[in-house]
Amino acid sequence: MAEEGAATGGAVAEKVVHTYPLIRHTDMSEEMRIEAVELSVTACEKFSQNNEMAARMVKESMDKKFGPAFHVVVGESYGFEITYECTTICYMYFGGNQAICIWKCS
Amino acid sequence: MLKAMIKRALKKDDETVLITKTLSRLEQKETASKSRGNLVEDEALDWLKPRALLKPDDQEDVPEADLEEEVGRVLTTINPQWVADEVAYHYGQGRFLRKARPTFGKAYPLYVYQGTAIRKDSEEAKAQIAAGYGMVGFDDAGPKRAKVKKSKAEEEEEEEPEPDTQPAEEAKPEEDAADEERPKEQVDEQEVVQPEVADEETEAVADEGGEEAATEEKEEGEAQVEEKIEIKPRVKKLANQFNFCERAALTYTFPRRSVDTQTIPPPRANYGATGLQCIIFDYYQEDYAKKQREKEEEKPKRLRKKAAKHAKSAQQIHDEQLAQRIREAWTILERLVNQNIYDDIAQDYRYWDDPSDEFREGMGSLLPLWKFQFEPMRNHAVCEVQWNPHYQDLFAVAYGSLDFTQQQKEGCLCLYSIKNPAFPEYSVITDSPIICLDVYKETPYLVCVGRYDGNVCVYNAQLTLESSYQYKSDSVRDKHSNIVWEIRWGARLIDGEASFFSISGDGRVVQWAVMPGELQATTIITLHSSVAPIPGPDGTLLTVNSCGSCICFHPEKPDIFMVGTEDGMIHTCSLKYNRNYVRSVQGHHMPVYRIHYNYFNNSIYASCSGDWRVKIWEDGRDEPLFMFELGSPVGDVKWAPYSSTVFAACTADGKVYVYDLNVNKYRPICVQAIVSKKTKKLTRIDFNRQLPIVVCGDTKGTCHVVKLSPNLRVMCKPPKKAQGIDQRSLQIMKLDKLLSLVRDPPFQTGVVDEKFDDD
Repeated sequence: MAEEGAATGGAVAEKVVHTYPLIRHTDMSEEMRIEAVELSVTACEKFSQNNEMAARMVKESMDKKFGPAFHVVVGESYGFEITYECTTICYMYFGGNQAICIWKCS
Repeated sequence: MLKAMIKRALKKDDETVLITKTLSRLEQKETASKSRGNLVEDEALDWLKPRALLKPDDQEDVPEADLEEEVGRVLTTINPQWVADEVAYHYGQGRFLRKARPTFGKAYPLYVYQGTAIRKDSEEAKAQIAAGYGMVGFDDAGPKRAKVKKSKAEEEEEEEPEPDTQPAEEAKPEEDAADEERPKEQVDEQEVVQPEVADEETEAVADEGGEEAATEEKEEGEAQVEEKIEIKPRVKKLANQFNFCERAALTYTFPRRSVDTQTIPPPRANYGATGLQCIIFDYYQEDYAKKQREKEEEKPKRLRKKAAKHAKSAQQIHDEQLAQRIREAWTILERLVNQNIYDDIAQDYRYWDDPSDEFREGMGSLLPLWKFQFEPMRNHAVCEVQWNPHYQDLFAVAYGSLDFTQQQKEGCLCLYSIKNPAFPEYSVITDSPIICLDVYKETPYLVCVGRYDGNVCVYNAQLTLESSYQYKSDSVRDKHSNIVWEIRWGARLIDGEASFFSISGDGRVVQWAVMPGELQATTIITLHSSVAPIPGPDGTLLTVNSCGSCICFHPEKPDIFMVGTEDGMIHTCSLKYNRNYVRSVQGHHMPVYRIHYNYFNNSIYASCSGDWRVKIWEDGRDEPLFMFELGSPVGDVKWAPYSSTVFAACTADGKVYVYDLNVNKYRPICVQAIVSKKTKKLTRIDFNRQLPIVVCGDTKGTCHVVKLSPNLRVMCKPPKKAQGIDQRSLQIMKLDKLLSLVRDPPFQTGVVDEKFDDD
């Protein structure tokens, strides 16, 4: 019992939930990248239960700021193969379980 | 008419030049014909034809007379070929009819054009105008169709009536027949126009063309002469699908063209990834691990540094400790050696009192003890010497140069201990001569120095020599622009920072606050002088500041200070006023070198100057209480810390004067030459606070420590009535008694002088 308890306690201690935004791949400029990350964080926090709304918010904001046409995917598990305009892709993780892909292709 | 005909005839030959020539000639001579001979002889035409006319062989000979004969030619409109009795068979009537006689000759219309023009002055036109058509314009409202049948000749004739009018007049006399024809023509025209006006039924017949139509028209025209006049005014027809007229204009159409450009499409790239929970988690873990690693990497760096430093410092500490121990050992050894060498001096210092004093009432002597010299500063002058307020055996020396024509390049700050006369305890060479210094009473290892280049520094004697100064004024921003003549520590500021004041030859008194890492300057007062502004080279007026030479703070009032200037003025100033002096006294006639307050009475101070004089002043008096002339520039004057009436002065001729006003108000009780006046001058002097010794510096970098003989340090004996009074009160009383003696007779100028002179 004691051992188990200790083990679980150890496991709990080991398990660290990371929620910070983590950029996996990007070629955006510094300014755009910061903006995109901030937007994603805001959107995902605002619509934590609704990825569609979050994606829409990010997309519309990015469109306003950097011109159309941005594409945003927010999801927990998906695969993609996209063509993007150079210097406009940002693939990042947020909240420990969400993958957000932002790119522009018009 | 004639002209027209000729024109027409000549046109066929296509000789336009000739046409014009001929026409002009015709007009000139008004003759229709010319003889050949004339023509040949005509100079204007001689280029045209050869003079010798070629004749065919079979040409008939014509007599010259015949050739010369003028043949008149008459041209008429009547066709001479016309057959008067021509008949034609009329199939309709089945008989031969006589053809109508055309007025213009035998002609056959080849082409008929129905003209719409009518003469304006014709009857018909008048009628139409009367009917209201004239206003509209004939073309618009006129008859749609007019049947006119004319021969070609007639048409031509009709076309050219206007241009012909003038030549016609000329031709008239010759063309009687033509004249006769004119009315006929008019009639014809009327006849021609007639049918259109009359009825349109005839048009069908007329359209068939031919002579029959013409004849019919003729007949009808003759028949309808009466009708013609009865033309009803025509109403303007309404436009309908048959008679409306459409007009259009086509504008220039601009050619169009298309221009295209194509930009390079923005560069694109492909990217693909899979976002799965496991991948996200893994990546987070990876990133987290990386961050941790970085952190750890950073930490060891610091730690390593520290450790390295520590390890190094352990070694260093060891070294330092060792060095310290060695140094201490060496110091002890050095002192032992010195003690052995200077044993007699030490003995003298400790025990020798001049026995002759007992026999010389009121006179004393100075016993020379050690001489302090710093080898690198051999040629420097001692610009300031000051006993340390805390360590009685320690004094600070500022090495600079007072020979301003041959100024030294470097200076030195030294701390000497009388325990070690051989070498300074602390010495730091500076890059500019040091003119003044002051030891901070609160922390006696802090020494502020004023330098020849106008900078002020603070040295910490505890620090190693490598660190040099601890604080230094900013050479660019706020240093003095002249020599810093005297520097004095002041009271702490409100915020607790130490501060010191410096006076410089640029006429400013600056307070320096010792902030962490820097000195903050505040100009306290700018010494204005009485000299009027001097016009500068560019016309601006330069205000002249008087050069400050010494400063002295009131012992009790920290915001009152006195300033001596190079023009001999002694200004009493306050920190609270930065423009005005509290008091101003013309104390001397040469630069004031020192002002020093009495240790026992805060209103008494002494001043010395380059004008050979030492003066004793009382605050608030414009005249000195005492004045002594020492026969040489007085470099320094100091009150003795042990007696209220004793002061010492050193002069440029190498003597030290010690006065005791209580013993002798007019003469020094001791005059002793310390250095040879030929080679050296005494610059500064300072009493040791505790010990009966005086240090004075000379211009060759030597500090002389002399011992005061017993007569020079006589203490007050308490009166028998009041045995318990301490020495200080006694001293104050002594001075007050003395002052009352001086004060009681109203002080007059020259009294002291007289007495002095008398003596």
